[in-house]
Amino acid sequence: MNQLRDKAPTKRKGISYAKWGYLFIAPFFITYAIFNLYPLILTIYNSFFENYRSGLKQVGPNFVGLANYIKLFTPDANGTIDILKYAGNTVVLWLGGAIPQIVIALLLAIFFTSYRLNIKGQQFFKTVIYMPNLIMASAFSMLFFTLFSNVGPVNQLLMQMGIADQPIDFFSIKITVRGLICLMNFLLWFGNTTILLMAGIMGIDQNMFEAANIDGASATQTFFKVTLPLLTPILVYTIITALIGGLQMFDVPQVLTNGMGTPNRTSTTLIMYLNNYLKTSKNYGMSGAISVIIFIITGLLSILVYRSLTKKD
Amino acid sequence: MNELSKENLSARRKLKASRFAVYVILIFLSVLCLFSFYMLFVNATRSNADLQGGFKLLPSNYFFKNLYNAWTDASINIPRGMLNSFIIAASTALLSTYFSALTAYGIHAYDFKLKKVAFTFIMAVMVIPTQVSATGFYQMCVKLGWTNSYIPLIVPGIAAPVVFFYMKQYMESVLPMEIIDAARVDGSGEFRTFNTIILPMLKPAIAVQLIFNFVQSWNNYFMPALLLDKAEMKTVPLMIAQLRSADYSKFDMGKVYMFILLAILPVVIVYILLSKSIIKGVTAGSVKG
Amino acid sequence: MKKAFSLLLALVMVLSLAACGGSTAAPATEAPAATEAAAPAATEAAPAEEGKVFNIYAWNEEFKGFFEKYYTVPEGITVNWIINPSDGGVYQDKLDEALLNQENVADDEKIDMFLAEADYILKYTDSEFTQDITALGVTDFSNTYEYTVQAASDPNGTVKGVSFQCCPSALIYRRSIAEAVLGTSDPAEVQAKLDSWDKFNAVAADAKAKGYYMTSSEAETFRVFSNNGTAPLVNDNGELVLDDAIKAWQAQAKDFSDNGYTLTCDIWSDECTAQMFADGKTMCYFGPAWYFNFCMGNAQDPDKGCSGDWAICQGPQAHFWGGTWLLAATGSDNPTMLADIMDTFINDEEVCSNLIANEAQFTNNQAVNAKFAEDPEYGNAFLGGQNDVAVFVELAKNIKFENKTIYDQLLTEGLQGFWREYCDGAVTEEEAMANYYKYINEKYPEIVTP
Repeated sequence: MNQLRDKAPTKRKGISYAKWGYLFIAPFFITYAIFNLYPLILTIYNSFFENYRSGLKQVGPNFVGLANYIKLFTPDANGTIDILKYAGNTVVLWLGGAIPQIVIALLLAIFFTSYRLNIKGQQFFKTVIYMPNLIMASAFSMLFFTLFSNVGPVNQLLMQMGIADQPIDFFSIKITVRGLICLMNFLLWFGNTTILLMAGIMGIDQNMFEAANIDGASATQTFFKVTLPLLTPILVYTIITALIGGLQMFDVPQVLTNGMGTPNRTSTTLIMYLNNYLKTSKNYGMSGAISVIIFIITGLLSILVYRSLTKKD
Repeated sequence: MNELSKENLSARRKLKASRFAVYVILIFLSVLCLFSFYMLFVNATRSNADLQGGFKLLPSNYFFKNLYNAWTDASINIPRGMLNSFIIAASTALLSTYFSALTAYGIHAYDFKLKKVAFTFIMAVMVIPTQVSATGFYQMCVKLGWTNSYIPLIVPGIAAPVVFFYMKQYMESVLPMEIIDAARVDGSGEFRTFNTIILPMLKPAIAVQLIFNFVQSWNNYFMPALLLDKAEMKTVPLMIAQLRSADYSKFDMGKVYMFILLAILPVVIVYILLSKSIIKGVTAGSVKG
Repeated sequence: MKKAFSLLLALVMVLSLAACGGSTAAPATEAPAATEAAAPAATEAAPAEEGKVFNIYAWNEEFKGFFEKYYTVPEGITVNWIINPSDGGVYQDKLDEALLNQENVADDEKIDMFLAEADYILKYTDSEFTQDITALGVTDFSNTYEYTVQAASDPNGTVKGVSFQCCPSALIYRRSIAEAVLGTSDPAEVQAKLDSWDKFNAVAADAKAKGYYMTSSEAETFRVFSNNGTAPLVNDNGELVLDDAIKAWQAQAKDFSDNGYTLTCDIWSDECTAQMFADGKTMCYFGPAWYFNFCMGNAQDPDKGCSGDWAICQGPQAHFWGGTWLLAATGSDNPTMLADIMDTFINDEEVCSNLIANEAQFTNNQAVNAKFAEDPEYGNAFLGGQNDVAVFVELAKNIKFENKTIYDQLLTEGLQGFWREYCDGAVTEEEAMANYYKYINEKYPEIVTP
């Protein structure tokens, strides 16, 4: 594809199309500048100030240089640097949900688009797997909370079957809390990813598949030689947006653990940490600094993923 | 080809086996997904007192009572909330999808000096969490008097980096420059080429993004909660939150679950309508140009 | 399958079309009923120079209901309710933003009155955003409970608002379980057996031995302890100091959890409230009138509840819990009506009587409360016919509103939450406290933690 594009002349008969390029991207940039850029610059600017509310009284803004950043990276009495701990939590929770999400979504997308398999009831399955994404994440968490609470049906079942003799407190055990968060994120998003990938595969020129078929390629060969290379851009998109979404994880752990990140803050994510500073005290200084750190972490990871996925070209 | 050779037979058997495995996987995942809806439905059929006793697997008989209570609640107007949400969600989805496609096309199809800079910029801002600039955004809206207005909820949709990125990636895999050149030879104007030739080719991508953006906007709580407080302007998630924080004499979780259930219906419809266009996709011929 | 979907689709479309049709008429029905309700007698209350719109900020419709039933709005004035849920701090966020912006908006958009809870009322009374109501003409506090006036006053004693309710909190016990554990269900005798923490803790062990829980959450007794502390959570130097009363609660919470005298869960969780059903095993709850009237729905459930099997007494220590105050916003353009509302809800005997008789409130009018307390005909069926007003009249005498800070709500929530992790055995005591201090540093940068 790239070869095609490189060969394609962008100037023909001496006409310059450059102005169209500017014209087409102008609405985006104008809107972005008005609605996002100013607040964003404000955020970064704020991170160098002491700026919060005590009750209804405003403290600051007083310029404090890098003090907010230094505070973020100062270890506590036990030698833990909180923001790194929460970054670690976030990455663990993200990977736990995102890896199955992308692998299964890719499989499903191939199943659905495969002519050989010719899956019946596609419309039904496609609707059903996407449906969890329609529920508000907070409502979804509420449901899971009642399901796994000490008096919930899961515990009742475990006790009736004699597996447990008293209720298991799922929300005070690290592995079960994290497991539930990963499961919920997987359920919320795998349908969405399947549809994205499917749309990507459907967009591929059908002649390519026919050609592969005529050449006697097996399903596996077709997948690795035709589907995957052509799907790469969309796959890159899926992985990067899953990464961005994962690092912004908030609703599910917030509602599931009542904002506490139980147990011992091992399910506190970066955005929950940011939210703690933002609410109540409107601490724009510290939340600004955390935002910048989140931005840097997300940015670095995205570049890493983007590079490693597109290198082959 | 008409002969049923041994290899062909074993291939068929293999296909049958893998088809069976695929159905098992699909059914398992569907059950998992439907179960959460089943839970929601069951909860919507139960009374508040019953709900407080923990979750149960079998539905109760409060469905119509909850429906009646939710529908006639004096402090919330469900049809109005749905209309408000629909206006915001539909406009946002249309704007972000159209303008993201336009922006992506601008960068995909044309060569200009700032092309690389523009692309890098959008990719960079894409990774910024929305929560980061939310408070600044809110302060700005207060200053400009945009509270209780749909403008700050709809118009920013024009600049949606994630949607742009999707469109750009999609174009990379399905949109060869030959088509644009062919259109130019035919004397089609640039803007017309985009609207009449390019957009139809992006149909699956557009359908996908319309759905996702509609759903996202429909379920958005954070920004509308900060910006809207007039009863007649509130959206569905705000009304649900209001029900959940109702005072103890009116508090009724049965009503809350019922409203959550009702709120999902319109999105399911939008999804079913649009998912058809994903499947139709582009016809094989059009790519050849 | 396809057919089923298109059928469903058609059905829902018809429904939503109908819904859209209905909604066009909706705004009209929402128009405030104020004008119809206006009585001719009240016309003098709205002098021409005062505003035409009365704006009230609230987080739910509890007071709105009472207001619309029992207050006559002067002719020509529209009451505008701005209701934002308290979830996630939305109510306070928006209220703060509106108060800070009060000077810049048109008179009819200014906040006239807003509601506040005990846990954060100080944030507003101790600020320039609320005004002296005695200057507006609300001066008769002879019938109100002193603590409600104290709570609505700034540190200099300027009164900024009133409460329409009084919230002494009692020990609410299951009669049948008290019979099994203590051998009696008579309020006076139960009180004699539970009138100190030593007795309470000893009875907890008995209850456990007989197969019952003393409380359904380790945090149930928190308000009783914290209300009787001798120092605020944050001292004058801005340092967090946990009072001995709080430490006593912490010790009790851990002890109760470890010994199985209580379940370890949030007081609002399903696990805790499920214990209110007839098959529950919990003997004691703590709460004011609003708690057993409205938060014990499980106990009142016709099928699974146990209405009538309950009674109240003071318990180990007197205390209060919650309550809603009406505060006067600075810059209000309806001072006459503002003062009139406040005066009505504390001094109008008819309104206050209605609040008890029809709304099961314990009012902020001592004379009216006393009337019900002495009425031999009055009794609460849920409490087996016990006269709860009579009990509360006694309890209300001991309420102290002191040692409060603007931070109490979140400091309390946080302490209960992080301490629960220790009670559960998920973390060590040091970890629990370290997490609590981090939480405070995030919420309130100005508080110094150990």
